[in-house]
Amino acid sequence: MEGTSLQPHLETLLWSAATVLFIVVGSYLLGRLASWVGGRLGLSASERKKVFWGFLFAGPWILGFLIFVLGPSVASLYYSFTDYKLGETPVWSGVENYRELLLGEGAHGRRFSQAMYNSFYYAIVGVPLQVGTALLMAVLLNQQLRGIKVFRLIFYLPVILAGGPAVLLAWRYMFAANGGFVNVTLQNLAQNFFLFDWLYRFFIFAVEGFNGFYAGISRGDPIGPLSYTLPALIGALALLSVLRGEWTPSRRGRLMTIAEVVGVTVVVILIGRGLIADPMDPTLLYAGGLLALVGALISASQDRVRSARGWQIGGLVTFAIALVAILIAGSPEHQALYIPAILISAAPLALSLVGQWTRPKFVLGGALAAVLCVIIVARLVPGQLDSGQITTFARPLVLASTIEQPDNLDYLEDTYPAAAPSPLWVYGAVVIVLAGLAIANNRYPRAQRYVIYAAFAVFALLAVGTLVDGVRYFQAFENISAATGEANFHFSLFRDTTRAFPDQNRVPLWLTSELWTKPSLILITMWSSGAGMLIFLAALKGVPQVFYESAEVDGATRWQKFYKITLPMISPALFYNIVIGVIAALQTFEAIYIISTPQTQDNMASAAFFLFTRTFRQLFIGQGAAASWILAVIIVLLTMLQFRYSRWVHYEA
Amino acid sequence: MKRSMVFVLVALLLSVSLPVFAQGETLEIYITGLTEDTMNWFRETAFPAFQETHPDVQLDILTGGWGDFDATVAGWITTGDGPEIVYLGSEYAATFGNLLADLDPYLSDWEELDQFLPAAIDTVTWDGHLRGLPLLMSPRPIFYRTDLAANPDAIPPLTFADALAFTAENSLVEDNAMVQMGFMDIGAGLFDDQEFIGYLWSAGGELYNEDGSSAFDSEATAEALQYMYDRRRTMMVDETTAGLPPIEGVPIASGSVVSGIFPMWNMPSTSDALWDDIAIGPYPAGENGSPIVQIFIDWLAVPAYVEDPTLAVDFLKFITSTENASALVSVAGFTPVRQDAWEELRESNPVWDRLLDAAVEYGRSFSDIRASAELRPLIREQVNLFLSDQQSLEDTQQALKEEYDAILEDNGYLN
Repeated sequence: MEGTSLQPHLETLLWSAATVLFIVVGSYLLGRLASWVGGRLGLSASERKKVFWGFLFAGPWILGFLIFVLGPSVASLYYSFTDYKLGETPVWSGVENYRELLLGEGAHGRRFSQAMYNSFYYAIVGVPLQVGTALLMAVLLNQQLRGIKVFRLIFYLPVILAGGPAVLLAWRYMFAANGGFVNVTLQNLAQNFFLFDWLYRFFIFAVEGFNGFYAGISRGDPIGPLSYTLPALIGALALLSVLRGEWTPSRRGRLMTIAEVVGVTVVVILIGRGLIADPMDPTLLYAGGLLALVGALISASQDRVRSARGWQIGGLVTFAIALVAILIAGSPEHQALYIPAILISAAPLALSLVGQWTRPKFVLGGALAAVLCVIIVARLVPGQLDSGQITTFARPLVLASTIEQPDNLDYLEDTYPAAAPSPLWVYGAVVIVLAGLAIANNRYPRAQRYVIYAAFAVFALLAVGTLVDGVRYFQAFENISAATGEANFHFSLFRDTTRAFPDQNRVPLWLTSELWTKPSLILITMWSSGAGMLIFLAALKGVPQVFYESAEVDGATRWQKFYKITLPMISPALFYNIVIGVIAALQTFEAIYIISTPQTQDNMASAAFFLFTRTFRQLFIGQGAAASWILAVIIVLLTMLQFRYSRWVHYEA
Repeated sequence: MKRSMVFVLVALLLSVSLPVFAQGETLEIYITGLTEDTMNWFRETAFPAFQETHPDVQLDILTGGWGDFDATVAGWITTGDGPEIVYLGSEYAATFGNLLADLDPYLSDWEELDQFLPAAIDTVTWDGHLRGLPLLMSPRPIFYRTDLAANPDAIPPLTFADALAFTAENSLVEDNAMVQMGFMDIGAGLFDDQEFIGYLWSAGGELYNEDGSSAFDSEATAEALQYMYDRRRTMMVDETTAGLPPIEGVPIASGSVVSGIFPMWNMPSTSDALWDDIAIGPYPAGENGSPIVQIFIDWLAVPAYVEDPTLAVDFLKFITSTENASALVSVAGFTPVRQDAWEELRESNPVWDRLLDAAVEYGRSFSDIRASAELRPLIREQVNLFLSDQQSLEDTQQALKEEYDAILEDNGYLN
């Protein structure tokens, strides 16, 4: 506002001219650079000219990308390692932001954890429902009916409307617990149809029970013996699938896949924890090195070159992490501990670099792996499996409780979880058993069968025992709470909602209760799943009729035709919708912004919403940037995982 | 080819630059959450009046709501490019602090400064320096429907115990759904973070200890929390009770709300006959406290990126003048923050007279809320856990205290 009125005009004019000039000159230089690179690559003069003009015209976009996408991305990566509040100078803080967010430390870390759980909820529960709805609508609209185009328009309309604030506000009214359209309709149906009434109340019971349990997990309530149930169940079910019948290559592949997924998950958790630990625990690096080494050996033994290379890269990553750890380690003692980890994690790469995979190499690798096992156990056992902690695994096997008879909440909330070993041990056992069976590959069938039986029995007993003990654990909370009259944080919503079957006058508190906010959001996204429907519809139109005709000749039922022909034929569309759906679910924002209230915001907030709040409301740019990078990495990893296990997708008829 | 490229380039430059010659010197003002009538008053009455003394200045209003307020203002401050004047709420002096221009050199000698309520001047002061001027105040008392209340003689309840009895007596639940609410908070829910701070004050507590640390571990905090919990249980037996149906219009006129905390813009017009049946009272008090009425100050600030705030300050002085303060009363329902504008207001309408009486007798400015953007979600999270039977009182106080101390430390308020 300073000076004469002409000055800002001139300034604007100069800036405009400079901007245009920059774009023109930048594009020209980009073209010259591309032409020069083309020359270095041996292109002819006419080809270089084409390259020049191509890059000249693409220049404005490339410059825009560099300035408005790549530049800010690099800047945000830098800020994510700083303590930077808007208006203050960024101060380098290393991995502090990541540590706080990933470990859920303090109010913001806890809120980020909650937001991640909410995002996963939208992905795990919401995406299958949304994709299922889209598929159902597509199948319906694929019928030859009069006026089908009108139906298509009606079904697609919500896609255009769904994100609009007005429609989302209308949902707020429709979801009003008292007098809202949805509840009034449900109540009227329940009052008039006896069966519907029971289904409706069961629906309330199931949704509230599930969401109550999920709420407990998402805010970090200890789940006691139940934490062992899931890994034990994975092991038991995997072995159950090969328990009967002949050992076949597909069964071997199945076990390897499960072992790989579980193993990679464990490694990611270990490395993630190691990366943000201060100082980093060398045990995690040893474990990472061991896994990379064993993975490379297994893959090499089966001539799976790509897989072996993947494990080598894993070893290389561990190597790099150890190197960074040495550089930032505060004391020489820590530096010394990281050196063996560096050497071991480089082993898979080193072994493959020198000549072919020979027997001596396998022996050497095996010996190294054995040494690592000894080191890891030696490091872990004193801290993890002493003071009676082994009995936590042993007692559920004989269906005995691991819980003492407590008379106060402190034992359950603090003492018991602190004394229990990490469930990662069970996951590790699952990986070892499954991978061992797959590698042995029926060389000693009888021994293999005994191992399968024995391991199945162990995992099954552990699953049942810990499940029963988990119920006792919850009951103990309930009893103490009732006896003392003291409210307690632990899974209180779950215990409240499962205490009794809903009365007749109960209604879902859609947008006001923690138990219903996420299902409400999912219902809205299901309503607007027309985009996915359109893709399914296009895929359905592409399925050759001749397949159905052949199936009819063979006497196939409608369901068989759908399951055996339609689904495999539209699997690329299904895969696309799942991938896109998961990415969109993790980035959910607008709907939360509009339909949440201050009281329900935490229960609905996604990771994207958290980073918006942290960055633009609380102005902590550094931590907001860290949250955005964590979200980006998770999205990339999940997408890679989906592509890695997309063998069910058939791209050709 | 070359000639045509030069032609395109020149045309491009002209198209970008010509429009700016049409403009004069511009003063942009960001206003938050005002009605269209108020905007029109700014455009059609206030701006032309200002231009009489500043003929070369063009004034523009940028509008927005509180929902996207933080993101919008943060965006301007990040880029250093935004309006010359921004409209802020009570607690924002602490939020933006040094990102707002120090206006002492322009305002400290201004003789009219004494006309503003001292509490309002405190609100717009950060680090000992004026960051703007108060535009309006919004006293937020509790309003009571005397015609709906079971016992009108009990209005207004002045202690937590009396308020609990009043809420219980006037709440009605049928078929697990609310039919009548004895009390509704400002968020139309069952508690609000600003309201919690209000009860903490009326229980005799403070947000901060003398050393700057959080005082959430105080007896007053416990008393305020317990009062809010007990009040909730008088209206809903457990957490499965459905709230009132959506209310169209102002809640106090719905017939299903007997009392509540509302800003004046969410109350009937002051000329409405319903005011004959509306009583005004303060927040009830705890055992060692005294009743209060929270006063929110909306103010206009100049961001630090404005290199020369002279013109912006001229506009601030103009818009906060006695004349304009009185005009904004009739246009926007603003309660003026200048005491020399009160006399006319008191005479014009008995509602304002009663409201100002309550403000004068019980008023406490909602200011000096440190790191408010982070405190807000913390209170919502922790208090909600307590009110919904998921966390004990002790654990709630401990979590509030520890986590707010950490926030204060992060934001440089506490070492």
